[in-house]
Amino acid sequence: MPETSNFDVVISSRSVTGQTLAELGEENPNLWAITPDISATLVEFREKFPERFVDVGLAEQTAVGVASGLAYEGNICVVSGMLPFLSMRALEQIRTDVCYPNLPVRIIGTHGGLQGNGGSTHYAVEDLGLMCSLVNMTVVSISDPMMVREILQQSMSLPGPLYVRTGVGKKDTVIYDFDERSIQIGKGIVARDGTDITLFCHGEMVVQAIQAAEAVAEEGISVRVVDMFTLKPIDADLVKQCAGETNRFLVLEDHLMASGLAQCISNVLADEMIHLDWFKRLGIPQVFAGFGEDKELREKYGYGLQDTISALREAAAH
Amino acid sequence: MSNTIERPQTIERQEITVEELEDRAYELKEKLLRLCGSYEGSVHIGGDLSVADILTALFQYGMRVDPSDIGNPGRDRFILSKGHAAVCMYIAMAIRGFFDYDEIVRTYGKLGSAFGMHPCKVQLPGVEASTGSLGHGLPIAVGLALHARQAGLDHRVFVLMGDGETGEGSVWEGAIVGRSRELGNLVAFVDRNRQLMTSFSEDRIVLEPYADKWRAFGWNVIEVDGHDMSALVQAIDSLPATDSDRPTAVICRTVKGNGVDFMERNLGWHAGSLGAADLERALVSLSKSRKEK
Repeated sequence: MPETSNFDVVISSRSVTGQTLAELGEENPNLWAITPDISATLVEFREKFPERFVDVGLAEQTAVGVASGLAYEGNICVVSGMLPFLSMRALEQIRTDVCYPNLPVRIIGTHGGLQGNGGSTHYAVEDLGLMCSLVNMTVVSISDPMMVREILQQSMSLPGPLYVRTGVGKKDTVIYDFDERSIQIGKGIVARDGTDITLFCHGEMVVQAIQAAEAVAEEGISVRVVDMFTLKPIDADLVKQCAGETNRFLVLEDHLMASGLAQCISNVLADEMIHLDWFKRLGIPQVFAGFGEDKELREKYGYGLQDTISALREAAAH
Repeated sequence: MSNTIERPQTIERQEITVEELEDRAYELKEKLLRLCGSYEGSVHIGGDLSVADILTALFQYGMRVDPSDIGNPGRDRFILSKGHAAVCMYIAMAIRGFFDYDEIVRTYGKLGSAFGMHPCKVQLPGVEASTGSLGHGLPIAVGLALHARQAGLDHRVFVLMGDGETGEGSVWEGAIVGRSRELGNLVAFVDRNRQLMTSFSEDRIVLEPYADKWRAFGWNVIEVDGHDMSALVQAIDSLPATDSDRPTAVICRTVKGNGVDFMERNLGWHAGSLGAADLERALVSLSKSRKEK
């Protein structure tokens, strides 16, 4: 189990992405970066490897198509942009031009969840559901900015496509001490151990989950927080283990709650015919969420910190 | 870090005369009709016949490809963006020696066959990309062309699109990027047969002035009769050097169903199957149209 920090260190996952890609570009002469006009993340790579940097302008479909063509030639391609557009405008290219031939294209971007106050045009809230439904796709959602580095490094040897979700990516809380343990795609992280309830989460919600777990710990409720950063393939063994050890599940996510992590976990429960004593999902209901800061929106739609604490109490009382 | 690829073995373009190419094109059309006659399901025969001459010109002459060395990094690449003409490409490639025609006929569209209605690179090595959803080929071709440039390779990347397909916005996105990156090694053939699946293009969807659209996007444009083999050869011969700075669009005036009178410009023959009597009728018409040429 990695050490968790006291959440006072904040860095930008965008700059981690940029620095990591610049380093990886050195070691991997076949690494390309492609973007539809969102190149702030890619400055370091662009400056070092201008011949392997492609800004296609506002053309998400072509960004992915070009990445497919390059990947057919043995290159590894990172397509970086804003996820509401990459995951939807270019969905068919991702599915047909990348997943169908199983090419090493990495889709990485920002604005996963109700982040950035852009309104529903600019929130990626369906993305994980869409990506998890694609054959050959691996899907991760980043909680700690330093995870981007780990994931991108590991992805150099991943043969097929990968989707990487981050939040706004400017101020991200450092959660883990990666000197203790590196992460592994496909394996959930037990970010905080506990025995009564398992709280599954990913991305921006991990910090809130740990805070909620700590709040109820004072009341004698022991909550295990699992950062299920890989949604596909889901760590079914860990789900089964947690069901055996805690038997009450709360799933918290900044995504439509009908089609995100809760669904992935429910699939495991249904397929394995696991009976839980208590199960609840917190996330975005079937609404176009409107404007507001991320924290305000989470509270408005029932998955803020207090809602999480209340749900944990409800689980404990059950 | 610019060029890490070893110089590939040079593939020479095939020596062949226009008359021989016309024979190959006829062979392709005849084989297409025979397959269509033996296959129980529906074949995109209209759009196949529309591009048979173009595919012949490319696979038997224009492209430096070698069926015995399909992974050669220096080979010319071909993307069939109008993926529904797959069977025409399979047979054109069979005539060149990539595949066995009889195997195509025997297995086409059947369970376990690599020869499907739309091409799949994973199942059928030799094909350069999996296509079928329209408007995807040009951006993929841009990626292939960018790779060639960066790797210091001088092969061409050819893509064949239908004109109806160019209603897809992604085609024009790709056109912008191809021009912006100055990809003189990129060549788009457009099958301008003026028919979509359910309508004639100028009746419902106005594409004219068509060549001007490509010119306006900064492309080098060649306009040609897509059923005139010597004109197609001339177009290929006049392609700019691969290190030039503009991609080329070869706009081919074609006829959907070309060579078979009852299929030509007939919306009923976007796709179909041929019974024994219709096959005979189609072969007679094909033979007749060749003599008239």
